[in-house]
Amino acid sequence: MAKKKLSYKEAVLEIEEILDQIENNKLDIDELSIKVKRVSILIKECKTKLHTTQKEVEDILNTMNNEE
Amino acid sequence: MTEQTLTLSQLSSEVHSAISNAFPRMVWLVAEISELNVNRNGHCYLELVEIDEETQRVIARSRATIWSYSFLMIKSYFETSTGQRFKQGIKVMVEVSIEFHQLYGLSLNIKNINPTYTLGDMAVKRKAIIEKLKSNGVYSMNKELELPLVAQRIAIISSPTAAGLQDFMQQLQHNPAKIAFHTELFEAIMQGEQTAPSVIAALEAVAEFYEDYDLVVIIRGGGAQLDLASFDDYELANNVAQFPLPVITGIGHDKDETIIDLVACHSLKTPTAVAEFLISGATQLYQLIKEFEYRLQEITPFALEQQENYFAQIGRRLNQAVHHYVDKEEFKFETRKNQAIKYSEQFLIRQSNKLGKGFQKIITGIPLRLEGEMHHFHYVSQTIKLRVEQVLHAQQAKLDAYELCKHMNDPKQILMRGYSVLYKDGKLIKSSKQLQDGDEIETHLANGKVKSVVTKK
Repeated sequence: MAKKKLSYKEAVLEIEEILDQIENNKLDIDELSIKVKRVSILIKECKTKLHTTQKEVEDILNTMNNEE
Repeated sequence: MTEQTLTLSQLSSEVHSAISNAFPRMVWLVAEISELNVNRNGHCYLELVEIDEETQRVIARSRATIWSYSFLMIKSYFETSTGQRFKQGIKVMVEVSIEFHQLYGLSLNIKNINPTYTLGDMAVKRKAIIEKLKSNGVYSMNKELELPLVAQRIAIISSPTAAGLQDFMQQLQHNPAKIAFHTELFEAIMQGEQTAPSVIAALEAVAEFYEDYDLVVIIRGGGAQLDLASFDDYELANNVAQFPLPVITGIGHDKDETIIDLVACHSLKTPTAVAEFLISGATQLYQLIKEFEYRLQEITPFALEQQENYFAQIGRRLNQAVHHYVDKEEFKFETRKNQAIKYSEQFLIRQSNKLGKGFQKIITGIPLRLEGEMHHFHYVSQTIKLRVEQVLHAQQAKLDAYELCKHMNDPKQILMRGYSVLYKDGKLIKSSKQLQDGDEIETHLANGKVKSVVTKK
């Protein structure tokens, strides 16, 4: 299934929300590991997107989708 | 009446001297340049008009000249002051001397110019355009578009030969944060009469693929101070304002903003500034992302530790709570026990008091009751005794009667009274049918037995 493209703004909002939850101890131990993983993925995606042109981003996303 | 006839030259001469008398000095004049030609000697020939604002008709017209030595100065002074080319179609305030030439007639010779007037006129025109955009409700449309957090797909509207474009590209491609930008040039003429339609055409070309871009930049090389008025165009501003993507301008000026600067989502002075703006937006996000990464690394172990602490704390709290609960229950139990003892004691005392009273009642009640019972008993026993005696008397009487009867019925007695009993072969005879003639019978009497034979039956 194709992943929904996340805008920078959406990504930033989601990252901030999760970090806030982690910082304020709002997550239980099970959620914690899931959310930490999610933030790591979002951060990685943003960094990749910033450093590659649109064409390259699409190629990367395609390979990621194919691997899934 | 004397008639005076003049030759044409005489008339011209008189007109010339009359005009010279009427206008001994130069005058300041406002007019619109309707035609402008510069000949090979550098002399400038113009046609000045006055247009009626309401009817838009030309109500006055005059030829004018600027000699080459003045023209260079006036042109450069005007253009640097206004940022506007000295050309036809503009309104000017000029200082003129009125000249009348025998061969060429009336002519105005321009010696000086006041650029402030033209600036004011341009401002009025600009204001009219702005008002029109506002009243059509499009003025702030592009401004209301949200600039993306990071714009990496950029449509550039510029002239391929513009120096500003090279600066822009250079800066964008060599940014220190190594942000990747994707750019596409949409060519347009960026100065002169063709500016507005050419930029509009480029905008239309971008609009066809607007989903492929984050925003549009309209840039033009620095130093090109002239022709800014080309961007004060209603149609162009209307297109920019309603463009579906945010527009950023950098058209190289440091004075008044043009109208497209006003309606664009964001306006900067130079192409370089636009590049810096784009880079700084992306770099800021990059920094933010790095900060997030750092925060995540910092807080995750801490959060885990907190979770552990939390469980430890819960354990301690549970322990405490249990102890507290047990203590409380013990105390309650103790209190209840004491209460129960107290109450039972009180109860016992009350009950034994009651019992004491009851006992008293019994003690005093029993003799009374006994007396009653004894009395009753006595009565009953008397009655019984009486009845028994009566019954005994009756029975005695019966017994006496029976005794008498027994005595009377004794066979010996009966025999003695004269009765006899007959037997045959030891058997008692009760009927004559038992006997036949000749039978030997034995008769028992009170004092012996007699044997006899039956002779006649």
